[in-house]
Amino acid sequence: MAGLMSHGARSALFAPLDQTGRAEAVTRRLVDAISLGLLTEAEQLPSESELAGRFGVSTVTVREALVALRQLGLVETRRGRGGGSFVRAPRAASTAASAWTRRLRAVSLSELRDLGDHYAAVAGAAARLAAERSSAEDLARLELACRDIRGAEGPALSRAERVFHLELAAAAQSPRLTHQELALQAEQGGLLWLPLYEPRAASGPASASPSGDGGGDPREAAGPGDAHAAHRDIARAVADGDGDAARAHTEEHILAAVDRLAELHLSLLDP
Amino acid sequence: MAGGERPVRPGREDRDDSRDRADDRHLDPLVMQVSDTVEEVFARLDPLRATTEKLLTAPTGSADLDRLRPDVVATLGGLVVGAGFIAATGALTDAELGFEWWTTTPDGPPTQLFISLDPASEYFLDYTRQSWFTVPRDTGRRHVTGPYVDYLCTDEYTLTFSVPVRRGGVFAGVVGADVFVREFERLLMPGLRTLINRVGGRAALVNAQGRVIASSSVRQATGSLVREPDIPGWWSSGAPGGSAPARALRRCGDAPMALLLTSR
Repeated sequence: MAGLMSHGARSALFAPLDQTGRAEAVTRRLVDAISLGLLTEAEQLPSESELAGRFGVSTVTVREALVALRQLGLVETRRGRGGGSFVRAPRAASTAASAWTRRLRAVSLSELRDLGDHYAAVAGAAARLAAERSSAEDLARLELACRDIRGAEGPALSRAERVFHLELAAAAQSPRLTHQELALQAEQGGLLWLPLYEPRAASGPASASPSGDGGGDPREAAGPGDAHAAHRDIARAVADGDGDAARAHTEEHILAAVDRLAELHLSLLDP
Repeated sequence: MAGGERPVRPGREDRDDSRDRADDRHLDPLVMQVSDTVEEVFARLDPLRATTEKLLTAPTGSADLDRLRPDVVATLGGLVVGAGFIAATGALTDAELGFEWWTTTPDGPPTQLFISLDPASEYFLDYTRQSWFTVPRDTGRRHVTGPYVDYLCTDEYTLTFSVPVRRGGVFAGVVGADVFVREFERLLMPGLRTLINRVGGRAALVNAQGRVIASSSVRQATGSLVREPDIPGWWSSGAPGGSAPARALRRCGDAPMALLLTSR
């Protein structure tokens, strides 16, 4: 039973891939190229075998990636003479760059608050136990995870956040808290650790958000640097064996992330 | 529960040589059982390691790892719930990282483990940071990692046994076997109970870091760290037998585990 549950939690985190994850890598490369405008509307993609040669993967892998791109509506495949795979750019912008925007728009503030409360409870408890139970080895791994976030942006930033909190839960020596951590990371499509720092610049109205959420201003200047500082504070408290401080820093860090999401959510609702 | 621990010989609180020797005699069977159990798990890895080293004598791509499958699956069984080969960076011709890892399932055939190996992926978790990989790489010796929460594979509280694999004398990865801590505990609990019923106090199997693997008392829970005595210090001084900093502290054969007996 535990096996089934853990499988569920894990499958959310680790997308099942072909044996080396290459189809995913090819898909992402093409999604990025399309959303960045490197491949433009109606442009024909190189043939499957040419793509396979360029990426250094098999044509089966390329075909898999093209199926994914078709499902995303980023590519259209026409058969016959003059056929092939063609970029569908207008859909691209709304798919790749704004998938998280749609998710964030759809979520309600009360759901966000509840997610934040649950996450803070789980991660806070994990941090307190980690302070009690971390060995030198655990601390070294936590320190590595802590360093990951420096200078990270985009997906690397999300990953650094996930890995740090995963290490924290593991350092607590609790499989249950680790399962919860994984499940929460996957919940709402991984909303909580979206790399939202850069896009904030684009959301002017956010500063005029209603004051109902009671959030302060510290996130106004929030950036990866703050995430690094927060992780450092947590790791230091864990290393000092100060469970209360570890818990408090972790809760703050998570509630700040939820605040950021809430603000962005509200700014997205503004006309 | 704590109430279940009945010191049968409450008068034996003072430390003296005769008592220590008596404790030692009672510890012997459990020390031996732990050592044997650990050796059995490592022995299960021998054929897989041989096959892997043979495979690696020729240039090996990630697809070639399929050929390890029969030996990987044969490693499963007994306490072993997961097993496989994990390649070192650069050991394969066509990929930075790679592995062939299978796990048992409750009522079905074994399943293969897939995780993201693409460092650029948001879901990538770097296995080259895991102790079961780094310790054999850095020391050239076999290792038992844990107890730890294995979020890469079993998602359970796990002990991972790993042995370095070499190609031309150079580290090329590890073969490993996962054991659930709960099964390890189940196996040792009768011996732990027998021990404390005879000599009283509290007994725990700990790893080199002082982390409790199994204990006779819920007050000394699995996963907690023993702070007193200083196990890591004792271990790094060579785990001396005579001057143990506790009522009794005995290394279990060549296993990186020790049996700790405390009066309370």
